[in-house]
Parts: sequence; structure tokens; C-alpha cells
Amino acid sequence: MKYSLAFITLVMSSLLIGSVGDVFEVEKKAVLVDVSISDMLFSLGEPKPAHYIDSVSLEMIQRGNELIHFGRTIAPNGKNTKHISKFYKCISCHNTVKEDPNLAEVNPERRLDYAREMDIPFLQGSTFYGIVNRETWYNDDYVVKYGGLVEKAKNSLEGSIQLCAEVCSQGRTLKQWEIESILAYFWTLDLKKSDLNWTAEDEKKMTNTSDDERLLHIKKKFLAKSPATFGELPESKSEGYKGLEGNPVNGKIIYELGCQHCHREKGESDVVLDDSKATLNWLKRNITANGDLSIYEIIRKGTYAAEGHKEYMPHYTLEKMSDQQIEDLRSYIESAI
Amino acid sequence: MKEHLKTRRLRIAGIAVFCCIATLTKAQDAKGELEGKTFYDTRIVNGQSVETNNEGVMKFIIAHRFGPVNGGGYELYGLDQSTIRLGFDYGISDNVSIGIGRSSNEKTGDVFFKARLLRQRTNGGTPISLTWFSGIAARGLKFVDDGRENKFEHRLAYTHQVLIARKWNERLSTQLMPSFLHRNLVLDTSQKNDIISIGAAARYVASKRFTFSLEYYHALPDMLSDPFENSLALGIDWETKGHVFQFHFGNSLGMTEKFFIGENTGSWADGDVRFGFNITRDFKIKGRKSR
Repeated sequence: MKYSLAFITLVMSSLLIGSVGDVFEVEKKAVLVDVSISDMLFSLGEPKPAHYIDSVSLEMIQRGNELIHFGRTIAPNGKNTKHISKFYKCISCHNTVKEDPNLAEVNPERRLDYAREMDIPFLQGSTFYGIVNRETWYNDDYVVKYGGLVEKAKNSLEGSIQLCAEVCSQGRTLKQWEIESILAYFWTLDLKKSDLNWTAEDEKKMTNTSDDERLLHIKKKFLAKSPATFGELPESKSEGYKGLEGNPVNGKIIYELGCQHCHREKGESDVVLDDSKATLNWLKRNITANGDLSIYEIIRKGTYAAEGHKEYMPHYTLEKMSDQQIEDLRSYIESAI
Repeated sequence: MKEHLKTRRLRIAGIAVFCCIATLTKAQDAKGELEGKTFYDTRIVNGQSVETNNEGVMKFIIAHRFGPVNGGGYELYGLDQSTIRLGFDYGISDNVSIGIGRSSNEKTGDVFFKARLLRQRTNGGTPISLTWFSGIAARGLKFVDDGRENKFEHRLAYTHQVLIARKWNERLSTQLMPSFLHRNLVLDTSQKNDIISIGAAARYVASKRFTFSLEYYHALPDMLSDPFENSLALGIDWETKGHVFQFHFGNSLGMTEKFFIGENTGSWADGDVRFGFNITRDFKIKGRKSR
């Protein structure tokens, strides 16, 4: 018996020790030599926003990076922080790279093409890339629907980060140093001149014009907010959105880069959406269902966190997935079986 | 009653096998994509599947086994009698789980450790999934005073299993479970302390939410003596968001390895079959390292 107990204890303790200590892998990126849009704007007299940080250290950026990608970091006191959320990481819903080919327009179709080209997820949340260059965060229908809940976040990036941690990710309240670390990391995702499809014509407009005109011109090259419009269900689920015909090729991309981002093995969701016939049949059967098993309802309405089951799915706004794209997804589900 | 004879060689062999498997695991290349779930849940019917909990997830399992259906209408076909096991499994990492449980059957407590050593991959990668399982069961019933010096270790039974599974296609998965059961104390001299058994299991995916499952444990010849029988169970799994419901018929009353491998008295031939179910609920206790 002693030997058996010793054996079990040895095996268990060796594996326990091996898995308790967290090792963070820090994303290493080549530093792109490019002109920061914020620096361009500040040099033309644009006031620094409330979320600007004067003093940024590499440690802060590292911590911010880890909080965004891994949900925790090593605090200044040397101890591991708690996870921000048991359910999600920030990157469950947000990219950290450019996701629109043209930053001056909202076009989910072009965004999907770009996602396919760059192999990046097609998500509900706006990318963190360029988030410091925006002026408002929870916009339009988020304000209409959630009112006071987003009041502090609407005009404050700090407030938005905190709201996202506490409510959107069903997590904990961030400490001030954590918010500052995230901001420090966000400032490394500041838009660059090369992101704005800068042309010789633009360059010409930057000479022999006033600072105000230059400011205006630069600002026209990207959106100062991510518009958010909540879509409606089709009048008839069996007929789908009127006048729209789905493209299964695009639908497959949405399934892979959108749905399967979270609905994967050991993913954020318990519901695994693999490529099996059983899964696609199940999705097809429920297209016209009432409730969140229907792709129309889950995409347009999402689900809510409930006591005992706080995981939920945020919906896609019209800007993040168009009605046409939902029909594309439906077309893929129906044609893939 | 026969006292336990320490089988040191077997244990050393067990450690050696474990070390070999661990070495093999390290040597695996990462060819192909990881294959999806081989089984819906961490249990097939009574026994373990190759699946492990996700990191930070605690699984609460309520399992019932009722009386034999051949008890007739008077016993409501077994539903008047019930045995329960309550258990908690926890994922230390995505590949390592521990668990604890308590059965009303012989007031048995159990703990276990489970490590996923190989994971099947697609496109010519690792062809199987392989999980190591070790568990200890402790009988809680009071000793009958028969003049023997009763020690705590007399209550204990150990099980080691290598679970080897393959998902053949999106509908069919199979599993082999070579198992070694050691009981420190057995009922009488006709019983062996050590039992080697080979288990086999299969699942067939009927739809996204429903699968059929089969589980059989066959002890090697002369390992089981009367009145004990091999264990066979058939079941259906129903997966919902956050829950898995497993309904099944089988000839085993016990829900820990000690019982269904070595001390199962039910016989299918005599209609000594019981209805049972497992209900599992996952709770996320802490965040995970990976997204």
C-alpha cells in the first residue's frame, strides 16, 4: 500500500507543480518604423485625450499585453493577478490588429474579405487596434439600449475598459495600475500613417494648408467611433431576409472565422460547432426555431448572462455582420450537408 | 479472509509503463490538427473515458443506480431502490484532472487522478488518444468484528487504467481500457486481490445532442470467482448547454472501478439489469491560461 500511495502522490504532485506556475508567452512583434497618427495630430495642436499616458514603461506595456491576451499578469509586487474573467479573455471578442481595409468606412463585406486575406477572426467587438484614436466607445444603439450602464464608458476609454471587464466579460473590477497597463499597451496599437491608405494626393493636402485643415484631413481618413446598429430578425425565418440570396463560400468563412472562434473544442462556449454533419444538420434544423438555437436570433440578439451560467454570447451589430452575411452563413449551413 | 500480499513488482512495472508513456508523449510530433471530442463526457457509463476536464472547470456529477428491473412491479422495476454517488472532478490543466466522490454503496469514498498523455490528431498525426487513470477507493462500512486486527489499509482498493481511444469518424469512437485492480482485503480466500481486466467501449453519435454508448469490462480468465460477473452497460447521452445527461441500463450497482470491475454481482442473463443515470454540470472555477 505504501508504494501505491507513494506512486500516486509522486505522479500527482509532479504534475501539479508543473501546471500551477503560469508561464506567459509574450507576443513578440517587429517594431514597425512608421508615423504615429496621434503624434501627427498632437503636433498639429490636437489636445491629448483623457486616456493619454505621459509615462509609459516596457513593464506596463508587457502587463497590458498579458492582461489582454491571457487575462492575467504578474503584478508589480511580483505575484500573479487573478484572472480578469473566468469565462473570457479580451481577445475572445476583440482583435488586436487592423481589421478594416479602409478605416474611414464601415463595410462588413470588405471586413470579411480582409479577415480572410489576413486570416484574422471575424468578431463582434471592435478591434483594439486604433482604439486610442477613437473619441467615443459604446455608441449609438448600445447607449439607446443600455442607457446608464454605458454612461461612464461612452466617453471614457478607461470607463470602457472597466465596463468590459466587469460586465461584458462577467469578470472582476480592474485595479488602477491594470487599467493603466492596458492603456499603455493600447497606445502601442495607435494607428499609423501607413494604415490610412495615404496617397500622394493626401500628401499634397498636407502642404500649404493650415494646421486645422490638416487636422481635419487626417481625421477624415479614419472613424472616430465604431458605429453600432442593432439589427432585426427577418419577418419570416424560413424565408430569411427579403431579397437576399446567400453565398455559401462567404458563409463558410464566417463559420470558420466567426462562429468557430469561440465554439471550438475547449473554447469559450460549451457548444462546439465543428464541421460534422451532425452539427450542421442541427444548425439547419434550428434555423426557423424560436429562441437562441436559431442563427438569426443568436446573431442578432445574442444571449444574456444568467445566475449559474454567466457565459453568454454577445450579438453582432449590423456593422459587424450584415443581413447579407447571415444569409451567407445560412446558405453554407444548408449547402454543406 | 486473505491478507493482502504486496505486489511490489507489479507496481514497479506500473511506474515503468507510466514513464515510458510520458516519454512517448514528449516525443510526439504535432502533425495534423487536434481531433474533436472522442466521447461526450469524462464518463462513458460507469468507467472513465479518455476525456479530461478543461482547466479550471469543476464537474459535479450526480449518479444513480437503481435496483434490478427483474424485481418486478412491486419494486417498480428497481426504482424503489437507489444507490447514489456524488462526485466532483476538477481540471488542473486541460490534460490533468483530479476527482473525489462518495458512493452510498458500501459507504465508499474515492479519489482519482487522470492525465491525458496523447491526443488524437487528424491528417496522419497521432492516431489515438491515451489517458492514464489511477484511483483509490476506501470502503466506509464498519468492520465486522471477526477477531482480525482491522487496519485502515484494509479498506482500500487501487485501480490503474490505460485508456486508449480512437475516433474513427465523426460518428463512431471506440476505447480500450486495460485495467489493474488491487484490493488490500477481499471477501474470502476464493477471491483474488489482483484483478486484470480489459474494458472495451464505443459511442455512436446519433445527432448533435444524442449519442449511444456501450461499455464492457471483461476480467481475464480465473480472475473473478462466484458470484461475480463482468460488467456490461448500454446507454444514451443527451448533451445540453452545460449539462450532460447519461441514461443507461447495466448489470453493475457500483459506480467506482472496484465494484464494476471486481465486485459486480448482476447478471444480464438473469435479468439482473439496472436502470441508472449520470447528470453532470460544469462550473468554471477559475480562468484558463489559454483562450
